Amino acid sequence: MGLDRRAFIGLVAGGAVGTLFTPIPWKLADDAAIWTQNWPWIPRVPRGEVTFATTASKLCPSGTGLKVALAGGKPIMAYGNPEHPLSQGGVSPIGASEVYMLYSPSRVRTPMRKTGGKFEPITWEQAQTELMAKCKAAGNKVACISGDVGGTAGEALSAFLAKVGSAAMYAMPGEAGPAAAGFKLMGGQGRVGFDIDNADCVLILGADIFEGSGVSVRNRKAFCASHPLGKEQSAKFAYAGPVRNHTGAVCDAWIPVASAHLGAFALGIAWHLLKAGATSDAADMADFKKLVESGYSPDKVSKLTGVDPEVLAGIAKNLAAAKAPLVIPGSEMGQGMGPGSFIAGMSLNLLMGRLNKPGGAVALPELPAVFPGAETPSEILARDIVGYLKNVGEDKTAAPEVLFVYAANPAYGLPEAAAMAKALEKVPFKVSFASFMDETAAMCDLILPNSLTLERYDDVATPYGSAFCSLTLVKPLIAPIFDTKTTADFILDTAKKMNLALGHDSLEKALKEKAAVLAKSDGFVAKDVMPWQVMAGKDKPAYDPAGLWKDLQAGLAWVKVGQVAQTGLSFAAKVLAALKPAQAELSLAGMAPQRAGTPATGLPAQCLTAIPDTDLKDGASIVRLNAATAKKYGLSQGSSLTLSGAGGACPAKAHISENVMTGVVAVPMGFGHTAFDAFSKGKGDNFLKIMTASVEDGTGVTVWAGSEVKIA
Amino acid sequence: MSAAHQEFATKWGLVIDIDKCTGCGACMVACQTENNIAPEKDASNKLRTLTWMNVYELKNGKEFPQAEVAFLPRPCMQCGNPSCVPVCPVVATDKNEDGGIVSQIYPRCIGCRYCMAACPYHSRYFGWFDPVWPEGMEKTITPFTSTRPRGVVEKCHFCHHRWNQAKDAARIAGTDPNNLPDGAYTPACVEVCPTGAMAFGDLKNPKHKVYELSRSKYAFRLLERLNTDPQVYYMTKRDWVRRQGDNYLPNEKA
Repeated sequence: MGLDRRAFIGLVAGGAVGTLFTPIPWKLADDAAIWTQNWPWIPRVPRGEVTFATTASKLCPSGTGLKVALAGGKPIMAYGNPEHPLSQGGVSPIGASEVYMLYSPSRVRTPMRKTGGKFEPITWEQAQTELMAKCKAAGNKVACISGDVGGTAGEALSAFLAKVGSAAMYAMPGEAGPAAAGFKLMGGQGRVGFDIDNADCVLILGADIFEGSGVSVRNRKAFCASHPLGKEQSAKFAYAGPVRNHTGAVCDAWIPVASAHLGAFALGIAWHLLKAGATSDAADMADFKKLVESGYSPDKVSKLTGVDPEVLAGIAKNLAAAKAPLVIPGSEMGQGMGPGSFIAGMSLNLLMGRLNKPGGAVALPELPAVFPGAETPSEILARDIVGYLKNVGEDKTAAPEVLFVYAANPAYGLPEAAAMAKALEKVPFKVSFASFMDETAAMCDLILPNSLTLERYDDVATPYGSAFCSLTLVKPLIAPIFDTKTTADFILDTAKKMNLALGHDSLEKALKEKAAVLAKSDGFVAKDVMPWQVMAGKDKPAYDPAGLWKDLQAGLAWVKVGQVAQTGLSFAAKVLAALKPAQAELSLAGMAPQRAGTPATGLPAQCLTAIPDTDLKDGASIVRLNAATAKKYGLSQGSSLTLSGAGGACPAKAHISENVMTGVVAVPMGFGHTAFDAFSKGKGDNFLKIMTASVEDGTGVTVWAGSEVKIA
Repeated sequence: MSAAHQEFATKWGLVIDIDKCTGCGACMVACQTENNIAPEKDASNKLRTLTWMNVYELKNGKEFPQAEVAFLPRPCMQCGNPSCVPVCPVVATDKNEDGGIVSQIYPRCIGCRYCMAACPYHSRYFGWFDPVWPEGMEKTITPFTSTRPRGVVEKCHFCHHRWNQAKDAARIAGTDPNNLPDGAYTPACVEVCPTGAMAFGDLKNPKHKVYELSRSKYAFRLLERLNTDPQVYYMTKRDWVRRQGDNYLPNEKA
């Protein structure tokens, strides 16, 4: 039987039609579609078991405990640690950046020395030899600027300076500095914190407590607890400041007050409280009363601040009626406030008898030091770094021979940037311990890169604003990716080789000793019972002191709720009497949300998306001003303008926002980097450079919050 | 592929309290890193960004000092009657699974973007460029969500992988994977939110917090009158915020 032409065609056609009734062509078409998108240059997802480990964030100033996800042993993502009191599962955008910032293009990958204006890689041994020679030659003319003075690593640096006979240890500006200086002037002992968890009426004076001020994640968790979803809130919040920022946005009331007038505003409330019979056993109560009654009557305060006298009276009434009122002083941009403003704010807490009470301001003891000779964080924080550098720049103070810069970026993060850079240039030998190539590192002679949080031992000790003492262990979850070292270990080794042994061989051993010392003190491990619950009267849980190191390694926090009893605390009435609130036609207000990073981190890569185009667009900074202010200066939505002050100028575009008070330009902070990488460079401007560093009357400390600006 | 309303035994839903959102952006960052969205150098150009979760700033339109501000986080609404599903010519997106999460199958997507045009919430994003991580940063890619090439549409899926993980955990623990307790399955944005402005759970399960919250008199949904039946609810006590949830006439009650 042959296959004729007709049968052949029939077979082929029948086969083709038959195939259509099978899934084969559809499956092949589907596979083809899938394979066209199987592009090898798109990174693949990792394989391996997903596990979790704990540590705490060092990049985020709010000190949150972290839960880090690892795939096949490699960190892939950071979440908040639900068991940690400063996190409770919440995390800020900076804390969440701890994993991907390990691979930031701006990471310094090896020690480097500047030769002929260019950096060249060197070995750690070469760097140490050079550093020791410079330090020996400098004698006691060694200074340090640190962005982390609270922890044990900061203690090691302080002890090193003490060993060489220097007391020039300075902290980068923040809210903690003026608080320490202000509390010292009041005759206070200990570090100030604020128990937001147990307060039922919170007046916030400027401080952006839900973003850049204090333990902002803890603060937001406290807000969360007093505002349960779907239920009535149990605490009222009011925000006084020049801009309705992220903190002001969720408060029950916003009282527009210029930064420079927050102190006067507080004393205006004090006038009402005094009138209602508030008093205190402070030695200078009579002087304070006289000062407030004569200088801060509702009319005078209203004239100065623009706040309606009835509003002032209403706030005072609310505070007086509350069971647990609390006043939190600060600056809207987390820096630049003067100790005088802090004292004015704290005077309300004193008047209402809210010091060392649940839901009030608390004075916390310093944690014991494990490096002999180290100064306490309060001593360091009370120093005026901007005033010091200004004097160095103007040759009023001798420049140090050697400057250490640790976890800080003073060339970017200080006001009057040009003056600060001039001062830094006067230092003959500058050493940066930066993890990233920041503006200061780029100016330095030697860069000795610090390992990042997930690569090193470190600790987070009682961040500013916290209402309880705490210590959280930072432990390595991954070996250093690049040729970096833990700065504290390097300092300890260098000190030893210089015959200045500081008492410990490594930071890990120092931390173990600290845990052993803390185990003997009156604290506990926060797990089932949280410190604010103990402050509210709950029994302190029992814990095994011998197991503290193990608990710390498990990511739990050691906490202590004890407060420092105050003897001789005053209103510092003399300081308050000397305060002269500045009057500016147009002033700056900084907006410093955490998504813009810190001066030491630059803009974290993944945070850029979260920055709205009302802060940054097409490489230009967008500043906010209300329609009345804009009209006065002939501006409208999208207008180009130049802001000038302190000998510098910043170009920007205008965005009309009615959430900014009249006579104020709100500027986004954290932009205008000239170092770091493509994620940070060439984006907007750094408005710190046009902020004028002036001296606060009465305290002599440098202030720059609410500084005057001109529009060109 | 249907324009008809879809109902399932389990209905995963999100309730967002706008009055508690500070606009910090932690949810956006967590979403990006969890779901392998590459960092974008020029992110101020919002045409380039892939913001499955996006935080909008709302204003009450009044002048200083009567002005107010609020922040509205916007994920995919996982509509009960999704506008995107019936327009997809290749069934790359569908609502066909218990839980009611609208799927997005990247390898099936042909990039026609009909779904983007159809979605009234702008919840869908088109990858115009291949995702590029800085050298080394690709090591932080998670195994949770597959990476996408350019040319496909992507969107929030309520961190669907976390549902699978929760079901696996239930199976291991010997409990019912189809009746998860409240909190067993939580998307990344909800987990990290520092002010606890978001709650997540089964809208049909009275044991879940969202059951009550979604029925609160303060709860509403965006563009409700389009009958898209979103599974995302918002809450606010402020009338002006609520009025921005839909296109109301000036004298109409929200």
